[in-house]
Amino acid sequence: MELLTLLAVLLIALGAGLALQWPALRRQPLPGYSQRAPFLGGGTPDSHAWNRYHIRYYPMTLLLIAFEMEMMFMYPWAVVFVEKGLMAVMEMGMFLAILSVGIVYAWREGVFKWQ
Amino acid sequence: MAVSWLGRLAARAPVPVYPLLGIGGERALYPLALAGRVTRVDSPRHASVLLVAGHVPVHHHEALKRVHDQLPRPFATLWFRSQPLPGLENARRVDDPATLTDELVALHRELQTGQRGSSPRLLPDEPPNPWEGLGDDGHGGEGMMGGTPYGRPMAMNMQDDIRDGLTLDSLTFRLGPFYPLLPPGLAAEITLQGDVIQSWTNQSPAYPRALDAVFQTARERPVAIAELELARARHHLRHLYRALRLAGLEGLGLKALRLARELTPASHLDGLRRQLTRAGFFRLAALDGGALDAETARRLGGPAARAAGIDTDRRSDDAHYRRLGFRPALGRGGDTRARWHQKLAEIEQSLALAGRAVDEGDLTTVGPGGLETPCGPWRERPAQDAGGCLEALLPGMEWDSALATIASLDLAEGSASPPPGEAHAEEPQ
Repeated sequence: MELLTLLAVLLIALGAGLALQWPALRRQPLPGYSQRAPFLGGGTPDSHAWNRYHIRYYPMTLLLIAFEMEMMFMYPWAVVFVEKGLMAVMEMGMFLAILSVGIVYAWREGVFKWQ
Repeated sequence: MAVSWLGRLAARAPVPVYPLLGIGGERALYPLALAGRVTRVDSPRHASVLLVAGHVPVHHHEALKRVHDQLPRPFATLWFRSQPLPGLENARRVDDPATLTDELVALHRELQTGQRGSSPRLLPDEPPNPWEGLGDDGHGGEGMMGGTPYGRPMAMNMQDDIRDGLTLDSLTFRLGPFYPLLPPGLAAEITLQGDVIQSWTNQSPAYPRALDAVFQTARERPVAIAELELARARHHLRHLYRALRLAGLEGLGLKALRLARELTPASHLDGLRRQLTRAGFFRLAALDGGALDAETARRLGGPAARAAGIDTDRRSDDAHYRRLGFRPALGRGGDTRARWHQKLAEIEQSLALAGRAVDEGDLTTVGPGGLETPCGPWRERPAQDAGGCLEALLPGMEWDSALATIASLDLAEGSASPPPGEAHAEEPQ
């Protein structure tokens, strides 16, 4: 009985959802061509704006990846550090040395300059 | 039922208005900005009413039609001291600035409650180029970058990058003459690579902006220095409002506008200056750059020249100004930030001069002669090439710096006589 009630509720909910999405109800006329053109204060474009452009935050993503990778390795390293001793320290040293090259590169790209 | 209820609610909301400014149209803008029942929007797509303020020259009618047709239906137009275009004979015209806000609100209510139909489209609803169903993606050509989808070709890299060697696609378009972030009338063909301007070619100059009538009078006979200086300070405060709006600090801009409206010789700028500093206006990265070379600064004159350290001010020639202890305030650097420091310093100087002139028994200017307007020395004819410096100044700048630079320059100035249709324009207080 409960299952039947649940099914009925489900069907009613689905039906109501579909009714709301009924294409005839949702149909809206497309805006005219002048409305679909980009707004340039009365000006006109020569080409589409779909183009390659500079993502200005990319040095920030480099920095994030550099520090994220460091932390990802450091958590498991901290667990086995006591057991492995000096060897773990050396491994971490090598890892940080390689990673610091990336940080130096990001520094050169101006990532630490706040604008 | 629900729709009519929503319509009634929408009718009570502040009216989203896109102001399209013609010659002398800015006079309508300032009282409108301070009117609470109207919201000024920066895109016609968000507007319910298109306000055409001031005379629009015939060669800009096509651009006006394009903006008109970009408002979503239902919408209406209101013509302030301007003749409606052919095809819009039923549009409402208003000449009295005091009734402007009421008219806008009434139009919006009529639209939302269905008492008024939408304004008709002025341009034919047809694609700029017919659809060409060719190519891999039906975009009219071969490969991803071929063809002309929706009548416009894809952006292709045609120029070398001028910033850091990372070559991006060039985007060429014409902006204006009714782009809200440029002075009214200014139109340019611009090529961008990313957000860096590759080239800027002016297509039409900014409309002349009428100065306060007191500057015209000062050309003919002595006028009270207090009145002249208050008009100068008012002019700079309105200029500041436009720049603050561009910087996203509209609340502060409205404070500047209110101060301009209620300006007296006893007014102070300290409060506004403190708020500008706290809001970080002077630390905006967009204010870096825009430095004028000495020759350009001298040619533009006024605060732009003095911000570059050039000692030029015709008030120095007036004996009564000298009696008040006037010496031109000079800045350093001549970039966008220096121009705003200069403008604020000149507002303070004007208020101090006005106060001292009143104390001296309402001192007047010596007489007709060389006149220093808020935007430089008086010129009989508007400087036609005031915007010409942009073509050399803007390439290589990022978009935000370029717009901030344009906003800091008086490109629309040079006319102390009222523009056509403005002869009896009295601004409501």
